Parts: sequence; C-alpha cells; structure tokens
Amino acid sequence: MSIATEYFAFHRQLQERGVVFSFAGYLSEGILFSLGEALKQKMSLEDADSRVIKRVFSIFVEQVQNIIRYSAERVEGNLGKPVELSSGMVVVGRERDRFFVVCGNMVCRDEAAELQRRLEQLASMDKDSLKSYYRERLRAPVEDDSRGGNIGLIEIARRSTDPIEFGFVEVTEDRSFFCLKAYI
Amino acid sequence: METLETLYRAPTERSPLLEFDFANRRLRIEGESYPEDAAAFFGPVIQALDAFLATDSTQPPALLVELRMSYFNSSSAKALMNIFQRLERAAGAGRGVRIRWHYHVEDDTMQEFGEDFSEDFEHAVFELCEFDDD
Repeated sequence: MSIATEYFAFHRQLQERGVVFSFAGYLSEGILFSLGEALKQKMSLEDADSRVIKRVFSIFVEQVQNIIRYSAERVEGNLGKPVELSSGMVVVGRERDRFFVVCGNMVCRDEAAELQRRLEQLASMDKDSLKSYYRERLRAPVEDDSRGGNIGLIEIARRSTDPIEFGFVEVTEDRSFFCLKAYI
Repeated sequence: METLETLYRAPTERSPLLEFDFANRRLRIEGESYPEDAAAFFGPVIQALDAFLATDSTQPPALLVELRMSYFNSSSAKALMNIFQRLERAAGAGRGVRIRWHYHVEDDTMQEFGEDFSEDFEHAVFELCEFDDD
C-alpha cells in the first residue's frame, strides 16, 4: 500500500465520521488559540448561526483547557521561557444536523473514578439544575487541587444541547483513557 | 489619600480591555476573555480594587463598574465572581457601587450571565444594559 493510499484511507475515515478538524498530540495554549480561531472562521464562512458558533467555541475551549490542565501525559521544561505541553486529542465534527466536540486524554486510574462520578452527575442533570449547580460552584472558594476552578465540566454540560456522553478505557495499571463528547 | 495610578491593559485576541481609572472612579472590562491563566490575568485588577476600596476618607468615593463582555471561559467567570463579591461586600459596608452589565441584544448567553450575576447583589446597584449594533 502506498503512503497516499494509506493516508487517504485515514483521511476518508475522518470525513466519513463528519470530522471538521481533529488534533491529536501535544497541546499548548497557543494551539488552543489557533485552532479556536480557525474553528470560528470556518463556521462563520459556512453561515452557521452565531449562537451555535459561540456554543461550539465555548465547549471547545473548556475541553482543550481540561486536557492542558488535567492530562496525565505532560511534559514541561524551560526553553528560555517555561513550556508546558499536555497530550490529548480534540475532534470537532458534524453528524446529521448537529455539531459535536470530543476530547480525549489519559488520566490517572485513581482520578478516573472521581471524574466518572462527577460526569455521571452532570449527565443526569437538566438545564435548570446545571445552571444552579454552575452558580453554586462559581461562588465556592477555589479548590486547592484545581487549577481551573472545576467549573469547566459544568460549562460543557450546560452548553451541550443534548446530554454529554463519556467513557473510560483502562490502558495500564495506573492509566485510563478518558473521552467526553458534547453536542450542539 | 495616596495617589493610585490608572491601571490599563489593552485588549488582546483572548483577553479583555482592562481600565481602572481611579481619578474618575471607573472600572471597565470589555471584550473576550479566555487568557492562559485567568487568575494571573485578573490579579492586578483585584489588587487595584482592594487598594481603591481601602482608601480611607470621610466621604469614600463611589465606584462605577462597566462590563461589556462578548465571551468568557469558566476560569474568567470565576475571576469575575471574585471581583463581584468584593464589590458587594464594599457596598454592604456603605460604599456606593454601581455595576452596568452591557450585552448585545442578540447575545442570550451574556444576557443570561448578567441576569444570573444580578441575583448576587443586594447592596450594590446592578443594571442590565442591552445594546444594539452601533
């Protein structure tokens, strides 16, 4: 198989899944910004409703920032300035008449149980409960163990027009792969 | 009263305009907000606000806060809440505080956030100000 055949098959697989763009690998805040700009521009050029663009963008930002902050696969060092990179994947696409945003990254097995418990809770809440839960968490003092205030997941669930979907796969003794899908 | 310098940060593609004009007792925050580190970005405003609110005089100056946001992420929401809690506490202690939350007529997300935030103010005046395209 030629490399063109091989990569075309890969490319077509993404297209068949409705993928508008996907990124897998080490992410930084700079990549978040650039991908986010391209996403907004692409959707605007296609005359998507401005409210839909805002929802997709908002979910995208929270998902990528979750990867940056919580991925278990990270490298950091100093290259003249501090550099932090976190590994994960983010996929934005369209299926039937709605957009989806998926993120995936490795998490520590011992954190997976707590994350799963929180996501199950969020997935079972209706819009009004999510709104009041967001309000409650926004007013709570910043938790010591959280760099993001922990309300990013609530924001994702709130902006998703259908209940969020998520899952975990055990990879090694101490690592699980986690993914989360939101719909707009 | 010690003189405080005006705090000014020009807007960037991912951080809002910040202007704390002490002479005119006005704080403005405008634009999009999803900086790399929201707590660090809003830190100087919170310090400036604390310094302003600590100014001791027989007639403490009132404060007008103008917000005109088009998007903010959850970490920025946390920072805004931090600012609002300080403003409400100061108003509760007798300081005149007025907050104007500007939102575009078609921006139901920013309208909803404004309505939500308004419920936190009992002493400070919080106004929802709808605007159309200029």
